[in-house]
Parts: sequence; C-alpha cells; structure tokens
Amino acid sequence: MEPDAALDEQIISLIASNIAGKFKKVNICKQTSLQKELGLDSIGMLALVFRFEELFGVDIAQMGIEVNVAKLKTVDDLINAGRDILSKAQASQVS
Amino acid sequence: MDNQKHKYLIVDCHSHIASEEHTPLSFIEGSIANIVVSLSAQGVPVTAKKLTNMFLSKMQDPLADGLVAEMEEGGISKSVLLIPDFTFALKDCKLTIEESFNRHREVLRRHQGKFEVFGGVDPRWGKDGLALFERSLVEFGFRGLKLYPPCGYNPSDPALFPYYELCAYHRVPVLLHIGPTSPVLDFSISSPFLLDEAARLFPNVNFILAHGAVSFVEECIMMCRFRPNVYLDISGYQATLGYDPEATAIKKVVSVGINHKVLFGTDFPVFRLQGDQKTFVDALISESGPLAELNERERSLVLHQNVERLLESSVGVAA
Repeated sequence: MEPDAALDEQIISLIASNIAGKFKKVNICKQTSLQKELGLDSIGMLALVFRFEELFGVDIAQMGIEVNVAKLKTVDDLINAGRDILSKAQASQVS
Repeated sequence: MDNQKHKYLIVDCHSHIASEEHTPLSFIEGSIANIVVSLSAQGVPVTAKKLTNMFLSKMQDPLADGLVAEMEEGGISKSVLLIPDFTFALKDCKLTIEESFNRHREVLRRHQGKFEVFGGVDPRWGKDGLALFERSLVEFGFRGLKLYPPCGYNPSDPALFPYYELCAYHRVPVLLHIGPTSPVLDFSISSPFLLDEAARLFPNVNFILAHGAVSFVEECIMMCRFRPNVYLDISGYQATLGYDPEATAIKKVVSVGINHKVLFGTDFPVFRLQGDQKTFVDALISESGPLAELNERERSLVLHQNVERLLESSVGVAA
C-alpha cells in the first residue's frame, strides 16, 4: 500500500471508531458527510482531533496550527487536514 | 447551496460578540466541564485547559469584524448582539456592565446597519442599572433588553418591572435566556413559565424566549400560542444537529401554527468549534432542512420578518 493510501486508511479507521449508534451502519467513503451522514457533532469532532493527536503523537495547538472544524465537511476534508498537519509536523522536526 | 446564500433575507436575532471581555472565564470553564466529562468517559485524552484554549482561540473578535465576515458568507444581513449581564453573579468579569455596553456601542458605530444591540442589566444593580439601561435606549441606540435569569433572578421579579415599563415606553422587546446553561449558574429559574406573570402584567411588551426549540420546547410553544406578546427564537439548534441532522425539534416548532412567533437565531459564537454561520444557515434552509416545508411567506416570517416587526415598533436613535 502506498504511504498516502495507508494514511487515508488510518484516518478512516479513526473516524469509524468514533461513530456511534445508527450511524455505525454507514459505509464510509471519502465523500461521506461527517455531520449529516456520520452524526459527528462538535464533541465528536473534538474527540476525533484528540484521538488523531494521540495516534500520530502530535500536539496541534503547540504546533500553532488552527484546525477549522467548520471547513471539515467530508471524510476527504479530514484526510487532507490530517495530511497537512503531519507534513507540517515532519517539516518542523527537520528544521 | 451557494446560490441559496442570497435567496433569502435573513436576520439573526440572537448573537454575541466573540470576546472574553463580555463572557467570564468561569462561565466558559463551566460549560467546558461537561465536554471534558463526555470525552473522558469515551477514553479521549483531553484536559479542560486544552479545550478552554481551543474555545478561547475562537473568542478573539472584539470588534466583530470576523462576525460580519461570517454573516456575509452566510447571507445574514443583520444580527442582534445580546449583552447578558454576568457581572453581578460571576465576579471574574473583565469589564463592568457599563464598559461592556460602551464596547457594543463602538461595534454598532463601526458596522453601520449590520447590528442591533439588546443591553442586559442584572436587576440587583438597582437604580444605577436602570439608569444605564435607559441611557442605552436613549443615547446608545440599543433596541431591546436582554435578561439572563440563571444569574439568579426570576423574570417576573418586581425588581424588573421598571425595566419593562421602559421597554413599553420605548416599544422595545425583551429577550430572555431559557433552559440550562453553564453549570456555574442556576438552572432552576430557567423555565419559560416563570415569565408568565410579567407577560400578563405587561401586555404591551414583547418577550422572546431564547432557545425555544432546544429547552422546554412544549412550554415555549404553549406560551407563544396563548400569550400574544410572547415569541421564541430557535438559537442553539446547532447543539442538536449531530444526533439529529434533520433538526426535528425545529420542524415541530414550525408546524404548530406559531410561525408568526418564531425567530431565527444562531447564538454565535457558542458553536464556533462546530461550524460557521454559513454552515448553520445551510442546515436550516437546505432542501432537507427543517424549514423546507414552509411556504415562502412563513419562511420569511421566521428568517427575518418577525424580528423586523418587533424592532420596527421601536423608534431607535443614532448609535
């Protein structure tokens, strides 16, 4: 599996582990809406952010990155945000 | 959805300036305590400090420039800024209530035509508070009274009657918080029925029950149906969108014959971690949203005409 694809899978697994109740039945793809189709409310989104930090060993606030939850509409948005955060984390380690 | 941005005229009857100047840290930390309990129970690694810092990062808009930008994006032409007076109940407020009024007056001047302001005064401030409220109507150009009963007073307390007399004289509405709030305050005096005596004694004053599609929904509907001078706003509906994306509570409120009493509101910036104003407007007016089954006339009443009707009865002065 390509590195990007592996990361996508990790993030989708992360999302799946945060879905509850009737939304568990939804088949998650990149176009899936986080709120409407997966029922992720503000607390659910926060839980996702914190679990992401734990999984990848990053502290988003300390890195000075602002995650605009309002812009995260779909699974793909979240994957792209995750990639962005991790690339910035790697860049800061190199510098 | 983008083409819906300008399809409807929208007035937000319930918003606040996003700044720690007007909301004490104890109030915010109290609200965050509930989120920490919820996340911790799910095994999410989180601290209150971290969450507080995240929320405070969204509270850095003292001149409301950010809010105006979000209104533009969401197609909201005007917003009512509310000033809840926490200064009597919570002692860690950064500003006095008079200073808070002055800051809002500056915002009113800065963004001509974008805002109206409802000033709030805790009735326990006595004559000074009443004088400040009157000045806000006569000199500052404010257009209503904001009450926050969970701070420790009943909306039918006779101490508020002089305020209601002023509201009747200047023909401005009263908007009061309904339902639970930050746990540092008193939930037991947040019921809409506590307003009943005041609403009966002051039939010429219009009262708006805030969050009427979120808390005590049946009671709020009842008050609106049977008291000609009682209205409700739907602000806070964003809290339910996660588990109820169709916003069925709002659907219920707009299906019981009181659409001449229902006002659109967002409670900005309370839900800024969840989305922006456009997100919240879109959720309401989308084809599957809770207002979809209303006809044009009813939708216009809810989105802007009802609040405009309440505001236009007041004379208003330059800010």
